[in-house]
Amino acid sequence: MAKLYPEVLIFACNWDGWSCIDAASNLGLRYPASVKLVRVNCLSRIHAGLILKAFDFGAEGVMLLGCVPGMCHFGADSEYIINECEKAQRILEMLGVWRDRLVLVRLPAYDGHGFVGEVNKLMEEIDRIPPSKRSKLIRSRPAQHAKV
Amino acid sequence: MFDFQNVTENTRIRLCLDCGKCTVVCPVARYDPEFNPRLIVQNTLSQNGRGPVDERIWSCITCNMCMERCNYNVGFTDFIRYLRYAALAEGTEVQCSHGGTPQAIMHMMAHKEIRQNRLDWLPKDIKVQKQSDTAFFVGCAPYFDVLFNDLGVKTVEGPKGALRLLNRAQIPFTILSNERCCGRDLLLQGDTEGFLALAQANMSEFGKRGIKKIITSCPECYYTLKVDYPNFLENWDINVAHATEVLAQFVESGQLVLGDHQQKVTYHDPCTLGRYSRIFDQPRSILHSIDGLEMIEMADSREKALCCGASPWVHCGSVNRQIQKERLAQAAATGADILVTACPKCQIHLKCAQKNAENNDVCQIEIQDIFDLAAQSLSSEEAS
Repeated sequence: MAKLYPEVLIFACNWDGWSCIDAASNLGLRYPASVKLVRVNCLSRIHAGLILKAFDFGAEGVMLLGCVPGMCHFGADSEYIINECEKAQRILEMLGVWRDRLVLVRLPAYDGHGFVGEVNKLMEEIDRIPPSKRSKLIRSRPAQHAKV
Repeated sequence: MFDFQNVTENTRIRLCLDCGKCTVVCPVARYDPEFNPRLIVQNTLSQNGRGPVDERIWSCITCNMCMERCNYNVGFTDFIRYLRYAALAEGTEVQCSHGGTPQAIMHMMAHKEIRQNRLDWLPKDIKVQKQSDTAFFVGCAPYFDVLFNDLGVKTVEGPKGALRLLNRAQIPFTILSNERCCGRDLLLQGDTEGFLALAQANMSEFGKRGIKKIITSCPECYYTLKVDYPNFLENWDINVAHATEVLAQFVESGQLVLGDHQQKVTYHDPCTLGRYSRIFDQPRSILHSIDGLEMIEMADSREKALCCGASPWVHCGSVNRQIQKERLAQAAATGADILVTACPKCQIHLKCAQKNAENNDVCQIEIQDIFDLAAQSLSSEEAS
């Protein structure tokens, strides 16, 4: 039986972040199909609420993929996402969900190999979590409609 | 879960005489002419609850001022809760404040698999029993401190102070490492399923630990555990007390002697502790028993106390800000050094108004939790 990979959600910025994923597919690099991608215009669109919601709906890991500091397409600084990521990590820790399941990855444009390396690293990190602590949350209730 | 017929009976909404007293006292209606409790009731009743969803139902801050004034005891806030429930069931979208993070935390806590790691804030000097039938319910303060770190709130100082006071009064208690949020915000927001999931998780946690009595320092948790849980859960037979009730008894009988604190303070009644739970005197008697503390009442206090402009983390906007500004102006008018409150959410909302003030038009009075203040007076006594 093929190995089951953890479900990982990637929020990727449309610019350098997405170009890495593009490059990975152009180069024919392989990464597990359990990776789901959400393309956003800038990582500043993502906040702690959305990250936690991903875990609430069953993600076992979340990656925030953006550009290296100083390279933001919009010229904005990246303090916002650093703060939000840290906030979400602290909340995850308090909720007893391993904080290393959430990573902020910043890569230069078209770094396909770097992207696949980071995905594999996150997968290994999740695999390292002891089974007793690696609970996948399954939302039994219907999703509440909310603008976030 | 609810039907319109039952709700109209339980909330006595058909007794509404269309007099509009609710709208006169409503703090939201004062700043938002579009919001009108009287018309919301009339429009919904005239269409037998089948009309389109009224967007304005999300603006209500459920401060219960309308019910205080209503001569027929019409439960407008309960009615709003039902309208929100019905609106969500129809698929209406809610505008969540803070990116929906509080809601996401509450939903995550509702999962059975969650094993929280939430007691890092607990100082070593506080004595907690491993086994006791009395539990101290901390509430979401540890989460609020992370979430609202940028506002500089320290809501966990409230429970810390309450625990120190309980230790001094020699009341034994235990703390549950896996307690969930009480779910009040989900209930007020209309997400009754989410609330029930949290309530059931909490009940099974209390059952496992053999809890018979709960003391809490958070007014929202107090009201939810005491009033809403028995309504929604069968077999709920846990005695719930607010820490001010417990401590005021000890202070009045002389078993707990508080220290000295030379300052002028004013007390802000949280809606859930005051108008909802009718606990007005206990916090005041705790404050009066602190030596040197001068207590000045605000223009609107006790039953008439203005809300902090809170909402169950939805639709927070300029109207809420205006209410917060008005409350802070009332506090400034007393000339007090500290605004004392008993609710972590009041602290967050008022600090948010102070932090986001433009042109210094908001009073920057210090805001402190009542238990934190009372516990500080103990330590000043020990130092001397």
